[in-house]
Amino acid sequence: MLKVQGISTSYGKINVLKNISLEVEEGSIVTILGANGAGKSTTMKTICGLLKPQEGKVEFFGEDVTGRRPDQLVRTGIALVPEGRQILSGMTVLENLEMGAYHRKDNEIKHDIEKVMERFPILKERHQQLGGTLSGGQQQMLAIARALLSRPKLLLLDEPSMGLAPLVVADIFKIIKEINEAGTTVLLVEQNARQALRVSDYGYVLETGKIIAEGKSNDLLTDPRIMEAYLGRKSS
Amino acid sequence: MLGELINPYYLQVASFILINVILGISIYITLSTGQLSLANAGFMGVGAYTSALLTLNFDFPILIGILAGTLMAGLFGIIIGIPTLRLQGVYLAIVTLGFGEVLRVILVNWESLTKGSIGLSGIPHLGREILRTFKELGFNPGVMGLQNNQFIFLMVFLLLLFIVIGIIWFFKRQNRSRIGRAFAAIKLDEKAAESMGINITYYKVLAFTQGALLSGFAGALYAHVLAYISPADFAYHRAVEILIFAVFGGSEVIWGPVFGALFLTVMPEVLRFISEYRYMIYGLIILVMMAVRPQGLIDVHLLNWMKLKTKKRGKEHGTANQKSA
Repeated sequence: MLKVQGISTSYGKINVLKNISLEVEEGSIVTILGANGAGKSTTMKTICGLLKPQEGKVEFFGEDVTGRRPDQLVRTGIALVPEGRQILSGMTVLENLEMGAYHRKDNEIKHDIEKVMERFPILKERHQQLGGTLSGGQQQMLAIARALLSRPKLLLLDEPSMGLAPLVVADIFKIIKEINEAGTTVLLVEQNARQALRVSDYGYVLETGKIIAEGKSNDLLTDPRIMEAYLGRKSS
Repeated sequence: MLGELINPYYLQVASFILINVILGISIYITLSTGQLSLANAGFMGVGAYTSALLTLNFDFPILIGILAGTLMAGLFGIIIGIPTLRLQGVYLAIVTLGFGEVLRVILVNWESLTKGSIGLSGIPHLGREILRTFKELGFNPGVMGLQNNQFIFLMVFLLLLFIVIGIIWFFKRQNRSRIGRAFAAIKLDEKAAESMGINITYYKVLAFTQGALLSGFAGALYAHVLAYISPADFAYHRAVEILIFAVFGGSEVIWGPVFGALFLTVMPEVLRFISEYRYMIYGLIILVMMAVRPQGLIDVHLLNWMKLKTKKRGKEHGTANQKSA
């Protein structure tokens, strides 16, 4: 469903991505692994239109969507949960959720919000509370829930485990799995390789802007070279 | 009887308060997307000069002049807004302040058109035009026991009051609409708003242009209420004054700059002796507000608190519309 062909993205003169190609099959969970500065977030931002690639093509359901604005891409079904769970801290949980459905004009939004709140009971409990007063894990759930309200076909998750306690991380990954089972395709960027590979079907390993390995998640999990690569030069 | 109650001087002051309220709202609108623009004094000048020149040189009716002035300012808003949108915070403030200065220099030096720093005088007066129209229709203010002079200022005041109420109503509605939600999201977190599917460029230009339209409108009204304008009216001091309305009154809710404009226009009139120190006091206000109450005097909490007070332990807690102000 998503096909990225040879994209190169740079910040000014610094080339961050060099000729990256990857593919996401409908219904799957795909992980992009890599250390800090490998270009994971840049890949995500390029896919969802926050950055424009110098070269290459992003195809979504066979349609060339390279260089489209993020709001247009949200409409075509790509939603991003940005790094560091950027929720709207001054709005209530409910308002945050409503903002997730911003581009929608149908009348099932209320129903969808109810549904999402069932999946995340903590959000229902706190729906009148300001987003900024939630804990880190709850904010991450809010960010995911909000993205789901745009009814995405493809959900991009940028480091959902960042800065969260191990128990909460496990929760988040469980939720990601559930979302996927409910029919949403997921592209995941992670540093937490083991957890990410356990839930995903396929994985790519990024290093300094290039894909250095790819394969079925199970294969990557058992590949010692990969475990080393995502940790950088350190051999474990 | 009515005639004794109406003092043209007070009405004139009240009219300027209302114009300042419009200016206060204009900076509030751009601020509601988190953009600090100091160009509104410049836009005000564009509106004022456009309308004044059209009515003076081409005998356009005032209504057309004001409309043209407003639109011209809006056009400038789009032109300035699109390139400066890449800037944020203090950089945007500097560039927009620069725009105001450039405009002032142009107004001062383009003497063949603007008469330079002497300014334009004899601009058709809004109130006098209204009086003339009424007289043509066969109405004489004497019927109401008013002198022409009183009638003029009363009509200007009422017209402006009507306009200001309309503007406040409009922007309160807009706040609760999709546009208002987008503005609020952009103000809170631009990146989050963008990833949520909000076209932030569109909404930022929209807010910037709305601010420009409003200031241009206020400027055009100013020209036709005072009947005299000069470049100094739209220079740095004016920009700071408009900013102060929002800093003092607050920029979270529309009532903030409205109150700021009201209070800070009345104050120098009531306390005549301090009006010389006006700008010193403004500076002091900025400092004190930054330290003590950066959100301004009137914020969401204050409004909610006042609502609760007036409701007196209401039957329902009013949670649904608590945040809408």
